[in-house]
Amino acid sequence: MKKWMILIGCMTMMGAMLQVSAQDFGDFSSQTLTGKAWEAYGKGNFELALTYTAKCKEMYMSEALKQEASLDAFPVGEGTHEYWALNDVGTCLFIEGQIYEKQKNITQALEVYAVVVNQLSFSQCWDEKGWFWKPAEASAGRIKQLEFDSLLD
Amino acid sequence: MCTFRIILLTFLFSLIHTSPLWAQGLGDAGPSLVVIEGDQEQGYRLMKNGQPFRIHGAGGSKYLDVLATNGGNAIRTWGVGPDTEDILNRAHAQGVSVTLGLWLGHERHGFDYGDAARLESQRAEVAAAVKKYRNHPALLTWGLGNEMEGIQNRGDHPQIWKEINYLAEMIKELDPHHPVMTVVANVNPDKVNAAITYAPALDILGVNSYAGAQNIGKNLKAFGWVKPYAITEYGLPGPWEVPHTAWDAPIEPTSREKAGFYFVSTKGILEDQQQCLGAYVFLWGSKQEATASWFGMFLPTGEKTPRVDATVRAWTGKWPANRAPILKEVNMPMSNQKVKGGQYIAVQARYADADGDALSYEWEVRRESTDRKVGGDEEAVPELVEHAVKVLDENGNALLSTPTQPGAYRLFVIIKDGKGSGCMDNWPFWIQ
Repeated sequence: MKKWMILIGCMTMMGAMLQVSAQDFGDFSSQTLTGKAWEAYGKGNFELALTYTAKCKEMYMSEALKQEASLDAFPVGEGTHEYWALNDVGTCLFIEGQIYEKQKNITQALEVYAVVVNQLSFSQCWDEKGWFWKPAEASAGRIKQLEFDSLLD
Repeated sequence: MCTFRIILLTFLFSLIHTSPLWAQGLGDAGPSLVVIEGDQEQGYRLMKNGQPFRIHGAGGSKYLDVLATNGGNAIRTWGVGPDTEDILNRAHAQGVSVTLGLWLGHERHGFDYGDAARLESQRAEVAAAVKKYRNHPALLTWGLGNEMEGIQNRGDHPQIWKEINYLAEMIKELDPHHPVMTVVANVNPDKVNAAITYAPALDILGVNSYAGAQNIGKNLKAFGWVKPYAITEYGLPGPWEVPHTAWDAPIEPTSREKAGFYFVSTKGILEDQQQCLGAYVFLWGSKQEATASWFGMFLPTGEKTPRVDATVRAWTGKWPANRAPILKEVNMPMSNQKVKGGQYIAVQARYADADGDALSYEWEVRRESTDRKVGGDEEAVPELVEHAVKVLDENGNALLSTPTQPGAYRLFVIIKDGKGSGCMDNWPFWIQ
């Protein structure tokens, strides 16, 4: 029994070490963390993606909130990039919401979507197709969709 | 005496022609009086006969009883024709108001807004329609044109917008009691600027928008539109807005996904209580556009689908009395895939019915549509492949016998509850 306990403990530690080694925060910029979160999410590595989003929030949430407070409309054009923390933290939270949905953790998904809608409403994310999309609008849509799903099930 | 008779006859004749309600037997109902109250600061309200009127509308003129009994209060049409009076009367009988469409020529159909003779002719048609229907009690607003600004360009052609303004002024002179709205395909800064600059006589901007309908209000504000607006068509993303298969066939959302789109869009649009007067869901009926099930909220045989239920839920907070079946589980191994012809593939689609109704399943295979148009223009229904599906049971299991002719196909399943509700889904596949 004791041996089994030791074995399980070692495996858990190895798992944690592998997880840590898989993390690479790069230059720790919000842009890098968000990019890595998207990449891990796209590969289905949700736990890894969540470590990047968590790091992004930890480092840049307060700056994001300051930037949000300074706005009363969406920035446009090149000016959008000046709100880097707001944009990246808003996007990271949206990614978290998507992950929680896939993990069927609907309560937590709703919580993070609500933060985007209520506290990071002017965040924007550049789409490679050539435009900015708005995490708060997307989050508001997901909240309504989850409400609808709950009505069906 | 003779003069008196002439005067009397003239009076009676004019009474018949200026009081179509009397001739139509609509009882005591007089012309409707519709105004827009408020301003940008306080918010706008549509008022019909002194009462606030938020548009819970639908595009189409069928199934008005279903609309009226489930929280809908308005319909929108696209042009006048032989059936217009009947539509207005049926709407009035159900307590439903009408944004009456006045069709305007499209340049993509060959109409030239630089051709004075054609403009004169169009003006005469619009004036005749306004004179004919302005006193109908079901009339809510005039819907001046539909996407005539151009859907394949920026939609900011001054000549077109000046003509819209001319017509809006003309309509208001003929009928000061109903606001004038024009309808555009989505918005961009140039289009909105053209509307502001060249068409100040417009009261309302109607916007047809699919994937992003709930965000139109924010975009309009950002582009400088300060008057009220309505969403005049919305629903699910169009075939042009979704992922495609390797052979360029649009992948249609499932019935469950579609219902979600309608619920989310309806709630999202109606959240703007400042500038948005309401919205018209599309399409309260059925049509072939890419597929037979893309836009229609009813089956071609008349059953309402889960999209109707979802919209009603968003309008009223309640489900309709009888719910439509909706996709629950699916197993379509050939979906979005290239497969060999002449083989059997087991397929499964299970549907849930909230009322526990017994469901019937119909399966069919059709060629992929090749008669694709833009702007909702009429499309032909693709060819049916006979005997392509063998039904295995009444629980959604079937055997697909893949066609032997190479090319693009879709497998359709049509579900009915026998009580007026149904559902249709489809999955594209390619035969090598």
